Amino acid sequence: MTKNTPRELFEKGLIREDQFSKIDLIISGKVVSVFYELQTLLYLGVLLFTTGVGILIYMNIGSLGHLISISALILLSIGCFYYAFKKGVAYSNESVKPVTPYFDYVVLLGALVFVSVAGYLQFQFGILNENLELVTLITSVFFFYIAYRFDHLGVLSVAITALASFWSVSISPQKWYSGTFFETANLHIVAIIFGVLVATIALVLEMRRIKMHFTFTYLNFCSLLFFAGAITGLFISAWWFVYLLLIYGGCVFAYLMAMRRKSFLFLLYAFICAYIGTTYLLEKTILRDAIEIWFLYSIFSCGGFIYFIIKFKNYFK
Amino acid sequence: MKHAYNEVNLYNLAVIKESKRWSSQGLIEEDQLKNIEQEYPCSFYHPNIIIRILLFIAALFALSGVTGFFALLFGNGGEKVLPLACLIYGVISFALLDRILINQNRHYKSGVAECILYHACGFAIVGLGWMADFNTYVVLITCLLVFSYAAFRYLDLLTTMAAIGSFAGLLFYACYEADGIFQQVIPFVFILCFGSVYVITRKLKNHNHLKFWLLNMMIVEVISLLLVYAAGNYLVVRELSINLMNLELVEGQDIPFAFLFYALTIFIPLALLYVGIKHKDVLALRVSLIAIAFTVFTFKYYYGFGHPEITLTVAGALLFSIALLLSNYLKKMRGGFTRENHLAEKWANLNLQAFIVSQTLGGNQSGAGKQTETGGGGQFGGGGSTDSF
Repeated sequence: MTKNTPRELFEKGLIREDQFSKIDLIISGKVVSVFYELQTLLYLGVLLFTTGVGILIYMNIGSLGHLISISALILLSIGCFYYAFKKGVAYSNESVKPVTPYFDYVVLLGALVFVSVAGYLQFQFGILNENLELVTLITSVFFFYIAYRFDHLGVLSVAITALASFWSVSISPQKWYSGTFFETANLHIVAIIFGVLVATIALVLEMRRIKMHFTFTYLNFCSLLFFAGAITGLFISAWWFVYLLLIYGGCVFAYLMAMRRKSFLFLLYAFICAYIGTTYLLEKTILRDAIEIWFLYSIFSCGGFIYFIIKFKNYFK
Repeated sequence: MKHAYNEVNLYNLAVIKESKRWSSQGLIEEDQLKNIEQEYPCSFYHPNIIIRILLFIAALFALSGVTGFFALLFGNGGEKVLPLACLIYGVISFALLDRILINQNRHYKSGVAECILYHACGFAIVGLGWMADFNTYVVLITCLLVFSYAAFRYLDLLTTMAAIGSFAGLLFYACYEADGIFQQVIPFVFILCFGSVYVITRKLKNHNHLKFWLLNMMIVEVISLLLVYAAGNYLVVRELSINLMNLELVEGQDIPFAFLFYALTIFIPLALLYVGIKHKDVLALRVSLIAIAFTVFTFKYYYGFGHPEITLTVAGALLFSIALLLSNYLKKMRGGFTRENHLAEKWANLNLQAFIVSQTLGGNQSGAGKQTETGGGGQFGGGGSTDSF
């Protein structure tokens, strides 16, 4: 690939002249897009601002300046939503292209600030003192509304994590790594049920052709939760065989999803989880002692796997 | 010496990849993409990124099994045999990669190939270093040579980074060991050295016969720029001087040439920004953004970290407003810059972005989680998925 490639393609008649002139401008560097730079700045802006506000809001509770800043935040949130409703297009079941490059981030900012302020007001006036979990649920419902109304994948992911945390389950690989995942007993069962339920809902929504491009995000979170739950169950429960069957079932499902959607991420989940499950099964049954056997096992299982993937390379492109 | 791959295939693969980007952006039509794919056939085995990751992991396990076996066989070999065994094992790995995987089976960055490459590098370096009793010079020079070889011959990007990292390490260590005045001038040596590396690489990028190394050269460029900036950065120089060179500062005292480093901390990012805008150089532009952020951090670090939450809020508001204004300003194309997305970056995936958003912005919504015992939530409750900032 060089700067002359577009011309070469044009001369071979593979692209038309109008296409060539457009592409050549970009490849030769005469026109430079700063799209991703701007997006990154916007994202960092939202990240820093909402984090700062999230802390700031709980300091100096009650003072006059505080009242003013809370009002300012409410105004900011209203401003964001005013912009979003005024500029944004009407709701559609299809994917909607944002009207401006920063539209999505204005919506995100508005939603996060609104939830921060609402959370603070509830904390201050204790409207829902009896059941605080409800706040998380309401937050999640609000995020779902925003996600569907403005066709926002980022807010949708936040909504799903909030919904999961209402059920006390954390969808965060960083948390799992630090070992705080499923600290309460039987939470892995909740994770499995949550994963299955939400995945079912997502698939039903897809069949009704409502926001079909959201399905991937749902399924991704659901498979992460499902597999994390099932693998935890496999390791800690006496009923490990049941969890093994669950893992295999999940793998078959993920495999089918991967093939249907041409999304290899699910394939990755399926293979890794199936491997973990099978290795555990073998460890429990046949392969007990002797480190040499484990070396042989890793060589032959992984080598065989690589051979399999390459053999069917047209299938796993 | 040249790279290990078939040139026609390499070029065709690059054309196909680029055409796919054009097609996904609607610049050309599906049929045209099909025609291009037929016109530029490529027989490499180069699967998509997920399969590559999968194959990499599998190859890693398989290789650790193989290594384990050899360890059992040669484990008692002792100090004399083991280094040589490592070296031979590494060289054999290189040979297998070259002859069988790349030449016969036409693997091109297939996951398996990378895994064997890193494995081979690792054993070659350990073997050679061990022979010299892990003398720092020998290790650093071996790293530099082996990584450069891997980067050059296999067009690998990770080893390119490792190679330039080892070069920087070698340079630093040499000056550090030389003692006296040399320790003082390390920052200037770095600026001069990597500044020239940057300039040379930029020139080399225009050579047609080096086109297959374009990505490697871009990485060298970015890392050189970052190193130039870091070498002139006040915070880096000060902390390294204190920690490594036992510089002791009493209250009110400053590092030698402090004013110079302050100036460089401010000047380098601005110069990069200027170069980036003037020459429409996206790499310089991106590095300058990172550098500006670190410059702000440097000054905050020494002059008041008092109210992080206010800093965060103000910085966030500023960034957001600047991005909004710039975005509006670039509504029309100005000086060749546009806010529209021309070609999707390889790593820019909407689903990935959404995942990042949910992992970083999920929290700080409500105080609710603070009191719920079962809440898997973070410090700021609710979302349960926040980093603790």
